[in-house]
Amino acid sequence: MEALNLMPEILFYIISGMVLVSSVMVVASRNPITSAIFLVVDLFFVAALYASLGADFTAAVQVLVYAGAIVVLFVFVIMLLNLKPEALRGFRFTVGEALVLLITLTGFVIIATELAHAPPDIASPGNLGAAAIELAGGNTFVVGMRMFTAFLWPFEIASVLILLAIVACVMVAKKDKKSGLKGHIQSSGGN
Amino acid sequence: MNLGVDLTFLEFLASLPALVEWNDFTVGLVAFAVKFAILVGGLLQLPPLLVWIERRVPALMQRRRGPNRVGFFKWRLYGLMQSLADTIKLIFKEEVVPDGAHKVFYHLAPVFCVFPAFLVACAIPYGPDLLVFGHKIPLSVVRLDVGFLFILAISSLAVYGVSLAGWASNNKYSLMGSLRASAQMISYEIPLGMSLIPIVLIYGTLDLGKIVEAQTSLIHWGVFAAPFSFMIFLICMFAETNRAPFDLAEAEGELVAGFHTEYNSAKFAAFFLGEYVSMFVLSCLAATVFFGGWQVPFVPYETIVALAGSPNIAALAGIMMLLLKASFFMWVYIWVRWTLPRFRYDQLMSLGWKFMLPIGLANVVGTAVVLAVLRFK
Repeated sequence: MEALNLMPEILFYIISGMVLVSSVMVVASRNPITSAIFLVVDLFFVAALYASLGADFTAAVQVLVYAGAIVVLFVFVIMLLNLKPEALRGFRFTVGEALVLLITLTGFVIIATELAHAPPDIASPGNLGAAAIELAGGNTFVVGMRMFTAFLWPFEIASVLILLAIVACVMVAKKDKKSGLKGHIQSSGGN
Repeated sequence: MNLGVDLTFLEFLASLPALVEWNDFTVGLVAFAVKFAILVGGLLQLPPLLVWIERRVPALMQRRRGPNRVGFFKWRLYGLMQSLADTIKLIFKEEVVPDGAHKVFYHLAPVFCVFPAFLVACAIPYGPDLLVFGHKIPLSVVRLDVGFLFILAISSLAVYGVSLAGWASNNKYSLMGSLRASAQMISYEIPLGMSLIPIVLIYGTLDLGKIVEAQTSLIHWGVFAAPFSFMIFLICMFAETNRAPFDLAEAEGELVAGFHTEYNSAKFAAFFLGEYVSMFVLSCLAATVFFGGWQVPFVPYETIVALAGSPNIAALAGIMMLLLKASFFMWVYIWVRWTLPRFRYDQLMSLGWKFMLPIGLANVVGTAVVLAVLRFK
């Protein structure tokens, strides 16, 4: 029965391994569609990570919103633009790229050292186990209560921000009225 | 077969259960494996049967004979074996991959279509709990607190199968079919989700099992509690599965066969499988959410248990009841397909965004207001 107690830990390493591999594949693959599909796989396994920590609601919303809606739009755009696979450039960096790489690596080292000094149970739900979640009224209830009481203001601001982004996109995509051509967004959607 | 020790293979198998410590975890694990195997095995039987029904029913409606030849020797079985013959043909047919297709995604697309459909089927509660050797076994492969969201989340992944299939085939008709299909699926996913929110508000849970348990009698059924939700759900059901009258994705007259134009043999069959399994899942969901799921009308669960003397027989009755209700919706799918003509694409989109979405939103707000007034303390 020893092995069964280790199951969550083994699962954690498998899932995080998949997250890492697919994340690398997102930036490393040459075909944009391949990148997008690996992004879906990545988001799916991040959701699995949430689920393994007992955050079922967050996991379901992660798949629903990111994998099921946002990346679909990415895939759409890539398909319609018909992007060609990028040619491999070999290991030549511009100064800017080298700088970004340096900053990223520094950040990675800082986080890794911080994590090494962190208490050993940082990856486990700790006192937020299944029993505690059940006692508090369930995942969805707690998230809903927090979101609409304590975090109502940030939540509403975030939605306004997204609305602004949508309006901005429509403005950018809209063609000039003087040209006489209707913009793509106006003409789609029928009569 | 002798294993070297004085133990035959059968005796070895029989001694296996004694080696395992039977607690809730191990029982759950074995039950999960068994339930999953039965579910997948059962779902794989769906397409041949449904294809047969889908040929015989329109034949009845249009006063034709339909397939009635293939059978064993002198038994024709109303042409039921036609599906078996078709399945064998589809599996053994030569596979042709078009030139210029993206090889990996071309082969992966049917998998992306089938996988979410089967995964969603795992979350449906097929009956009340079984009682095996004192252990309670829920009759859904996985029972989740967020069953509702799980179903919506996983079924939203089916879009990838369709869009990748069209793109990877390197055929303009395939691409146009897949763009139509995926735009349609995304558009109708929103009213579908909207139509389920009033149900969540009324029953106060996202757990499908608890929603069924709350629908003890006819007046508690979701269809009477939220009739508008049911109407929206019913319409979205057809659009989500790309079935007639919303089957513009494969409008033969315009797009050859839509996103699966370039597919043949077993991969074409896989798309069929995905479509029929998601039809079945949505039918089960409609029955579960709006028509009391495994609850037998007029006879409460406790009465069945008392009459039958065992919860297991009541569970069996529950499964039969759910399958009966789901088959009704499968019938509606086929009935509508052979009754209504296909919509035009702009009609489909304006129906989705200009009618279904506002009605769905109004339904959510209306239900919330009514519930707030009724539950005001």
